[in-house]
Amino acid sequence: MSDATAFAARGRTWRRLRRNPMMTLALGVLMLITLAAILAPVLTPFDPYETNIRARLKPPGDGHILGTDSQGRDLLTRLLYGARTTLLIGFVGTGFGALLGGTIGLCAAFYRRLDSVLMRIIDVFLSFPSILFGLSLAAMLGPGLDSLIFAVGLSVMPGIARISRGAALSIMAQDYMDSGRAIGLPVQRLLSGYLLANAYPPILTYTTLAFGDAVLLAATLGFLGLGLQPPTAELGSIAAEGRSFLFLAPHVSTAASVLIFVIVLSFNLLGDALRDAGDRRSV
Amino acid sequence: MTDQRPFPGIAFRLAGFASAAAIACASAAAAQDTGTVTIGRTSDADRYDPQRSSALAAAEVLYMIGDTLVTLSSDLKTVEPALAESWDISEDGLTYTFHLKEGVTFCDGKAFTAQDVVGSMERWLTPDGPYVSTWKAGTVDSITAPDDMTVVYKLKAPSSGLLYQMAQFNFIIIDPEQAESLGDDFGVTAFNGTGPFCFESWTPNDSVVLSAHEGYSWGSPALGNTGPAKVDRVVWKIVPEEATLAASLQAGEIDASYSLPAWSIAQFDADPSVTLLQPEAAFRTHYLGMKVTRDFMQDIRVREAVSHAIDQSAIAEAIFFGTVEPTESYYAKEALDYDPSIDTAPFAYDPAKTETLLTEAGFTKGDDGFWQKDGTPLTLTYYGFNTSREQAETVQGDLRKAGIELNVELYDSTAIWAKLREQTYDLYQMDYPYLNAGDALNLYFSSASVPSPNRMMWEDEETDRLLEAGNSAVNAEARAEAFMALGKHLHEAILWKPLLLEKPTIAIGPRLVPFEPAGISGAAFGTGLNLELQ
Repeated sequence: MSDATAFAARGRTWRRLRRNPMMTLALGVLMLITLAAILAPVLTPFDPYETNIRARLKPPGDGHILGTDSQGRDLLTRLLYGARTTLLIGFVGTGFGALLGGTIGLCAAFYRRLDSVLMRIIDVFLSFPSILFGLSLAAMLGPGLDSLIFAVGLSVMPGIARISRGAALSIMAQDYMDSGRAIGLPVQRLLSGYLLANAYPPILTYTTLAFGDAVLLAATLGFLGLGLQPPTAELGSIAAEGRSFLFLAPHVSTAASVLIFVIVLSFNLLGDALRDAGDRRSV
Repeated sequence: MTDQRPFPGIAFRLAGFASAAAIACASAAAAQDTGTVTIGRTSDADRYDPQRSSALAAAEVLYMIGDTLVTLSSDLKTVEPALAESWDISEDGLTYTFHLKEGVTFCDGKAFTAQDVVGSMERWLTPDGPYVSTWKAGTVDSITAPDDMTVVYKLKAPSSGLLYQMAQFNFIIIDPEQAESLGDDFGVTAFNGTGPFCFESWTPNDSVVLSAHEGYSWGSPALGNTGPAKVDRVVWKIVPEEATLAASLQAGEIDASYSLPAWSIAQFDADPSVTLLQPEAAFRTHYLGMKVTRDFMQDIRVREAVSHAIDQSAIAEAIFFGTVEPTESYYAKEALDYDPSIDTAPFAYDPAKTETLLTEAGFTKGDDGFWQKDGTPLTLTYYGFNTSREQAETVQGDLRKAGIELNVELYDSTAIWAKLREQTYDLYQMDYPYLNAGDALNLYFSSASVPSPNRMMWEDEETDRLLEAGNSAVNAEARAEAFMALGKHLHEAILWKPLLLEKPTIAIGPRLVPFEPAGISGAAFGTGLNLELQ
């Protein structure tokens, strides 16, 4: 593939992406939620930590758009701050997982001798369901933001490592890799300029899909009580907290769960759209 | 007296409750036999052996299938005869002679004699055995049976609380021969007792089935029906989910329960088909302990400041939906040997006093609204149970409003006990049952109990002296005097922030006749002798 055709493919991908309405919608929703989460302190007049226990579990309306939670705090405010935490864990965790997994995958493809060792290690990671893996890690490291991010990152890492290796292997078979080697390019140039530059589309697609999983895992750990300690807002723990009042004040759990659902769904739609658009076999 | 308390109305009505009840109803289609009472609860015991369990889940069943030598009146202040018809105590308070009731039989027909009492006690007090709560028996010298109807219980040191402790379920008389032959299976596959009900079967985490003990007639007259039981069978059914348990009661799948969530009790108060019952006296206090060895907490003014910042009545009203009462003393004012002259003012919610006290103690309020001293912010650490997340958050919120930052760390019930032995926290959450002031004081405050359960790290000679004086008192006056003085001394030291006083609330469905619940150990169904169908 020459540079010219690569550019053409890239342009085609982008055009196809823009034509996909689901993708536009998902991206819009995600940007909106992310923006709202970042701007939470500006958007809401309420303090996310100020409790007013006597005004707890109020239904939506009456000054509080989504009502109040079990401590009498404004639920919408809690959700915005909760989305902040959850998205932060999702982004940083996936970023960490992608970096680690991508490096492992590329190295495995590039240094053939390392391949079987690295991939067996990845197999060990893959043999644990990600929820069990996350649970044990979070329990081992104790509650806290860093350990949650670490747990989420390690859980998404093996999948990314697999995909990167696969993508990199097919690039390794290309003639230009051999010619690069033949003209004596340094290893780092081969790795980044040749291998990564051409193998990244499937990695990116998979990583986008993994965002959804990461957010879901973060929320699940929070729901199971392995998340952050109070009063930090986190979507999963808000849903868990509301669960005891499902009959009495269904809005608390429902609102938190719907928000998690929307975030995860949007990431999945985005990932799907990216995959479809990047699929070069169907021109 | 049967206490049917009103509960404050809550903001809005149960939405999905009716539909959940309808679902539960369908599964309850198989109606019960006419003589069976089904009691719902959320957790099971590991075994039904009174000497090897300290769980309420074991106590509540064991009180129905076994008897103790003595029991307590419903205000928990008077010792009443049970298997022992009468007793004498020697002048020096060391020898108790129990005269047993005639005609008492075990479920298998075997006659009950003094040998069974001696055998039960011997098994329980075996050194290094797997048996729990043996401290309740006092420092036993010997327990002998001069004849079939007399037991002589000799102590090495007087124990003013012994007779009260003897009403606890650990003192339930077992069949020593059966315990010997069954070994580890005792209280698992079978239990031969003298109680108003007989142990029929147990399916762990599902149900315990009891049938009425034919010919039972030796119940305590002070507690209502003396026997036989008015129902044929009692089934203790496990329903692990609280919300499902509440729905099962509405659907008639269970007849009664006291493991219901607070929100549902508030609902049931408005439901004419459900009656709520509470015992006259049953003591369980929720408190926050303060570690007096920590940098900030060693200053009594800081402890009082913290105490004034927390609003226990808001916790009672909001989190417990008014099903518990806020309290300002370490143990209930109605408990035996409580000194009414104790000054409870330091335990009242009064955030203004927090300001004054912290200023006095040399703290200044920073621009961020938080107190600090010499540049160190007043930040405290709180250890609590992860099942009480809401209460922890409320305490955290209250302290935040008062300018004190609280780091909350919550642990599950398996991990917390080890964490509580550490010296890394300032406040901890706990609740405990007790019979009277002496019982409460003995558990927590002696220097011998450092570091656990004396997690306050309270080492004080005066406390130890008064505790010893109260325990070795040979008459009620001397005991009351010592325990009252000790109670006052400990309240003055501000070691706890008392929060709530909890009594079990039984909710009964339309099939049962309202009865007076029992108070001992919080096992509100008591012997089950007062259970009666409409």
